[in-house]
Amino acid sequence: MKLLDNYYFRIFRNLSILLLVIIITWSVFSNLVDGDWGSLENSLDNLSIFFYESLWPPNWKVIEPQAYPICTESSFFEFKCSTAWIGMTETLKIAFVATIFGMFLSLPISLLAATNLNPFWISYPARILLASFRTLPSIIWAILFVILIGLGPVSGTLAMTFYTIGYLGKLQYEAFEGISRDPLDAADAMRLNKIEKSIGVVIPESANNLISHLIFMFEYNVRHGTVIGIVGAGGIGYYINLYLKFLQYDKVIAYLIIIFITVVIIDLISIYARSFFTEKENLKRASWKGVFIPEFLFSKYKKE
Amino acid sequence: MIIEDESNKIILPIISAKNVVIGYDSKKPLFELEDFSVYPGEIIVLTGKSGIGKTTFLKTVAGLIKPISGHLQVLNYTKLGTDISNIKRGELGYIPQNLGLVRHATVMHNVMLGANARYKSFWHPFFSNDAKESAFTAIEGLGISEYKYKIVRKLSGGERRRVATARTLAQKPKLILADEFLSELDETTKSVVQNQVLNYISNSKASIIIVEHDLERAKQMSDRLFVISDGKLLELPPDNDSMFLKGGDK
Repeated sequence: MKLLDNYYFRIFRNLSILLLVIIITWSVFSNLVDGDWGSLENSLDNLSIFFYESLWPPNWKVIEPQAYPICTESSFFEFKCSTAWIGMTETLKIAFVATIFGMFLSLPISLLAATNLNPFWISYPARILLASFRTLPSIIWAILFVILIGLGPVSGTLAMTFYTIGYLGKLQYEAFEGISRDPLDAADAMRLNKIEKSIGVVIPESANNLISHLIFMFEYNVRHGTVIGIVGAGGIGYYINLYLKFLQYDKVIAYLIIIFITVVIIDLISIYARSFFTEKENLKRASWKGVFIPEFLFSKYKKE
Repeated sequence: MIIEDESNKIILPIISAKNVVIGYDSKKPLFELEDFSVYPGEIIVLTGKSGIGKTTFLKTVAGLIKPISGHLQVLNYTKLGTDISNIKRGELGYIPQNLGLVRHATVMHNVMLGANARYKSFWHPFFSNDAKESAFTAIEGLGISEYKYKIVRKLSGGERRRVATARTLAQKPKLILADEFLSELDETTKSVVQNQVLNYISNSKASIIIVEHDLERAKQMSDRLFVISDGKLLELPPDNDSMFLKGGDK
């Protein structure tokens, strides 16, 4: 026990643990490579050949209007008839509806799953239910709904909704369990019932986290919405899958760049949106300029 | 001890404890209540060193923690031994040391939680205005009307303390447990809050147990002053500070 009181021994111990983790990780990785290090050596060459011969430059025909159906938009808005626009807006719609549906459906289950509100015989079954929704990745849910309902965005929306229930539900019950014990003690002393405690104490007390999680989930659903289209559940993934089949990788990379730009824009907007719900009062709210331009570029010249 | 009112009717205690051992762990009991009773309208002040178990005592009375052993009866609800979880809705008001407010909600939301607790039915406030009226009365009494619709986390420590007191007064409980509810307040506000609470006690014949560190204020407020010392809850005789000095912080 004396040794643990030694400051340098503690540093030595922590460094040893870190080293041990690195050694274990490397040995597991070596085991996965299984002696075939040569395949890794050639990977960069393969990437450069694939990149210059098949991927680059991107084929921006994807933002031009489709040949059929005939575009009725004015020439300035012709891009709205392109597959990229149609696919991306559909993905955004699927993500939006699935996030909101998922939130309303997961909220009651996650309230049941919170251990500070319910005894274990209620909270554990609710947790298992949420885990079961989460176990299947969104693409498997999408395959399931495509079989049940058929191709199209409705299957995609339902698939994303189910995955959202599992994922958002977990984030929600963790937020509920993280609230301070004192408001619950005061409510328990008043003998408020479970519904009052949930609506009056737990949800408002964790509201900031809930909203933050909701925005995160929307971002997540946009990213994953691109994947579910591959199995025919609507969105931009449908077109990616189509051009992958025809080996038109230059069009695929154009779609991927569009997805990347959309995700970055959503991410930046969500930074701004989330700054309204931060805990710390003294934290400066992000400015719109700061969302799109790194703040250090202009803050230096700002008057104090 | 048997207490009778003017018409010789026996008054039952609001709290009665016999050989109750307080603590979280039976191997490490904090202290014992050998014989402790609180009668309607009484103001009990409890004092003692930090970490000696004052908050644990309040939580035990509130039914949030079970006592290790003994017989504890609160508001006439008890099962022999320990369980007092069947206290009726709204009869007990608790102001925790950290106030227990819903920080991301408005002052009105917090006070309404207390006001709604008075009514048996959860739906009552949807059909009647009396809960809202009692919330407004409590808010006005404590001088926080101008913050009514402000978010609690944006208020100062003293303002929050008044909100927590308003929540409990709007509830109109028969027993209030207040854990250092006057700290962080300036002298004027302290008097306002203290007067509001003590007026409520004298008008409604409710009882209050206050945890307080300021000895002068404790003496001034209390009908009976208790100190936790040497593993026991002891009543401090009037005009005798020696026992407090032994067990208290000062």
